[in-house]
Amino acid sequence: MIRRIAIVLLALIPGVAIAAGPDPSIPPGQILRGLFVQERHLKGFKASFRSEGHFVLAPEKGLIWDADKPFVVNTVITASGIVQVVGGNETMRLSAARLPFLSRLYDMMGGALAGNWQALEKDFSVERSGDAKVWTVVLTPRVANAQMPFRGLTAKGSRFVESVEITEASDDTDDLTFVDQTVSSTPLSSDEEKEFAALNK
Amino acid sequence: MTRLFALLWLVAVVIAGGYLAYRVHEGLAFRTDLLALLPREEQNPVLQKADDAVTQALSRKLVLLVGDADRAEARAAATELTQRLQASGVAAITTSGFDPDHLRQMGQLYFPYRRGLLSEDDRRLLQAGKGEEIATRALSRVYGFVGTADPRLIKSDPFLLLQSFFTGLPLPLSKLTLDDGMLSVTNGGMVWVLVAAQLTGEPYALDTQKRLTTTLDIDGLTAQQPGLQVLRLGAVFFAQTGAEEALNETSTIGLLSTLGTILLVLVAYRAVVPLVSSVLVIGVGIGVALAASLAIFGNLHVGALLFGVSLIGVAVDYSLQYSTEAFAGLATPAERLRRVFKGICMGTATTVIGYLTLLLAPFPGLHQIATFSAVGLVAAWITVVLWLPRIDRVRAPRHGAKPLAWAGAALSFWEAPRWHRVRRGIMVVAGLVVVIGLTQVHADDEVRHLQATSADLIAQQDRIQHLIGSSAGNQFFLIQAKDDESALRTEEALADRLGPLVAKGALAGFQLPAAYIPSAARQLDNRHLIAQQLDPLLPKQLDQLGLTETPPTADDAAPALTLNQALGANGPLAFLSSLVLEPGLHVATLDGIAKLDEVAAAADGLEGVRFVDPAGQFSALLGKYRIRALELLALSAALMAPLLARGYGIKGAFWIMTPPLLAVALALAIRALAGGTFTFFDAMGLVLVLSIGVDYAVFCAGTSGDRKPVTMLAVALAACTALMSFGLLALSRVTAVHAFGATMLTGIVLAFVFAPMARWGARAS
Repeated sequence: MIRRIAIVLLALIPGVAIAAGPDPSIPPGQILRGLFVQERHLKGFKASFRSEGHFVLAPEKGLIWDADKPFVVNTVITASGIVQVVGGNETMRLSAARLPFLSRLYDMMGGALAGNWQALEKDFSVERSGDAKVWTVVLTPRVANAQMPFRGLTAKGSRFVESVEITEASDDTDDLTFVDQTVSSTPLSSDEEKEFAALNK
Repeated sequence: MTRLFALLWLVAVVIAGGYLAYRVHEGLAFRTDLLALLPREEQNPVLQKADDAVTQALSRKLVLLVGDADRAEARAAATELTQRLQASGVAAITTSGFDPDHLRQMGQLYFPYRRGLLSEDDRRLLQAGKGEEIATRALSRVYGFVGTADPRLIKSDPFLLLQSFFTGLPLPLSKLTLDDGMLSVTNGGMVWVLVAAQLTGEPYALDTQKRLTTTLDIDGLTAQQPGLQVLRLGAVFFAQTGAEEALNETSTIGLLSTLGTILLVLVAYRAVVPLVSSVLVIGVGIGVALAASLAIFGNLHVGALLFGVSLIGVAVDYSLQYSTEAFAGLATPAERLRRVFKGICMGTATTVIGYLTLLLAPFPGLHQIATFSAVGLVAAWITVVLWLPRIDRVRAPRHGAKPLAWAGAALSFWEAPRWHRVRRGIMVVAGLVVVIGLTQVHADDEVRHLQATSADLIAQQDRIQHLIGSSAGNQFFLIQAKDDESALRTEEALADRLGPLVAKGALAGFQLPAAYIPSAARQLDNRHLIAQQLDPLLPKQLDQLGLTETPPTADDAAPALTLNQALGANGPLAFLSSLVLEPGLHVATLDGIAKLDEVAAAADGLEGVRFVDPAGQFSALLGKYRIRALELLALSAALMAPLLARGYGIKGAFWIMTPPLLAVALALAIRALAGGTFTFFDAMGLVLVLSIGVDYAVFCAGTSGDRKPVTMLAVALAACTALMSFGLLALSRVTAVHAFGATMLTGIVLAFVFAPMARWGARAS
């Protein structure tokens, strides 16, 4: 049912990548912000589905993923679940209790940000190449995990993740490109706080 | 002549013993369910059958929630338990069928009819003219960060209506999610995996309970895996603790009562023969009663057994009456028997009448108790009359003076003129207590108050309810209509009423067939809604999805999906067959009822819909039969009176009846003043107090001269043994048994104290 939940992995990629290089992971209290372009190639559809927007990754809180084009879709993911809102109407709400996979990803993310690889490597084979300036990480789910909704994930970047390509079990692919990324201690805006809070309603 | 009868009786007892041995060898099982004691509801056999079928299915449900901090461990343990259940055949697993294959089949069934299938929310949106929202939602599924759309589906269903219908299905156990083929939920760092099953046998049969326990061996499993927790839910577990408690108590109470009685007899007679006599009388009484009951009913309820075993107190009276005659000095055994013969016969006759009136109540359990008791008493009586004089080697005890003096004093209190004023005072006080007490009688028929419930199991039940959103509720709606289509329409009306109750928390959820297969009328209406509200949006939707092909235009006149198509034996919706009893007779099951009254009221005014609450109905029945037991009390008193009048004259009969009736009224009043509620079981206790009280009164009335202290001593011993058996029941933690015991305790003491009053009639005549 959840095909692209794998994308949550995005949240931990900087950790993976950064830990591979000299820089530390996102320091506590810091927030990563940026713009994204998502292109989805679905098998059987000639054109791809392209959306653009901005994201906010606050390691202690979770991820806000707001598409602005072609229309506004707000998505918030935290340890307690996922909520999607379109035009003020909640179109999806999934609690983490119903998504064991999601909570495990969160454990991995927490581990990765703290430099603990065991959790991640238990479920994925992790291949790193390049150096701290230009690197590539390839994650492949271990066979035992039939539950994993994707077949492979390739992330490229330098200071931050710059692109991610996800290949799903159904051969659909997602290409994500990230630009204008900044890490800062600028606190969450009240709108952002509100979005996170909406999930805990 | 008597020798021949004694021999014949021996043959009869040996046959009964042989039969008992045979039954025990065959594996004797006692029933433990209160429902087995229920009368059949005669008025509507169709509904009764439906109620039975649903109640039985619900009572056979079995839920295990296997939790561990480690997902793999939890899953392994769940798999192990599933395999154990499957291998033993004690229960059929119902958690299978959630595999992707199964869901795909469901999709295949629904797909051709998707234009008639709308989720409740979508239907409301379309009715409100908000088709746009549905269109945007579908797009967000494709474009959104977390895509949940199957692209192949969106080509034929650009608004993703079927997906929405699918997720809106009231799949049971809504808080669970499918994790790699297993229904699971993660909570507080624990992964819980569901194992659900349907027992193949009766949950109330001790045999089923035993097999289930050994099959699961949960204790063994948790001992191996320290972090593992297994929560249990199901009538079978509650029945099991109930039965264990009842059996433990039967043996404890039985043991205490036996030891107490033995000690009492040994101390009182300082001889072994009276003890042997008593044991013989009790043993023959219970043995023959058990054999006869098993032969007549096939099996026996543990409750009937509990009451029956308690009979020990009454059956021993006759033996004690006979044995105590030894205190009266030297006489031949035949002479001693002659002296007590009338009293014993009257006592047995009146008591048997008291018990036999229970046969008039349409409770199967009461029939068992009546039969067990009557047979046991008659057998005991025969044993006393035919056998005791033959084994009698008793000499007049040398220690007799003191007990006889005490007994004589107790008797003379009721006869000596100098106590006249005190007696009058006691009568006035007793009268006042009765009048005040009777105004305080407060009836309670709630069956949940009567069963022993394990706090641990209730805690587990609450946790499971919290974790998976399902309760052990056994209430349901029964929908009766002329055919399936009408039933489905009725259910849609019912669902419209239940929906708001779920929203405000009066109910956690409900399942009815119409949620899976809407009525043809509803499907047609859905098609119209889609045609009006969504079809105009289609070109734009296809454009935004980059689709050039228009999905084939639907034929809105095509037949709708029917219930019969869904009910196929191995079909994906086979579970619906538990909700469709027969064409036009459907069931709506309910989860987590918080406000019973409001949920029950949802059926008001809906033709053919009935709220069924087995426990509630049982409580109502207990109330009816509490009244019935009181009527039986009056009836047995009325039946005893002519019998006593024949033996003792009208005045004699009046004074014989007075002490037991006074004991009954006072016991009722005192229990009420002490704050106890009046239940059916108290009423049953009063029936027995009357029978036993009449015995004591008859013994007292029939004695005279030197034998007076002897008789009184025998009655005192009888009362002590009765207290030891019935009074001990007041210690029971099973509320019903406790109520019965406490009433008996009070009643027997009073019956003994007042018994000498019975002589007032004899003295005058």
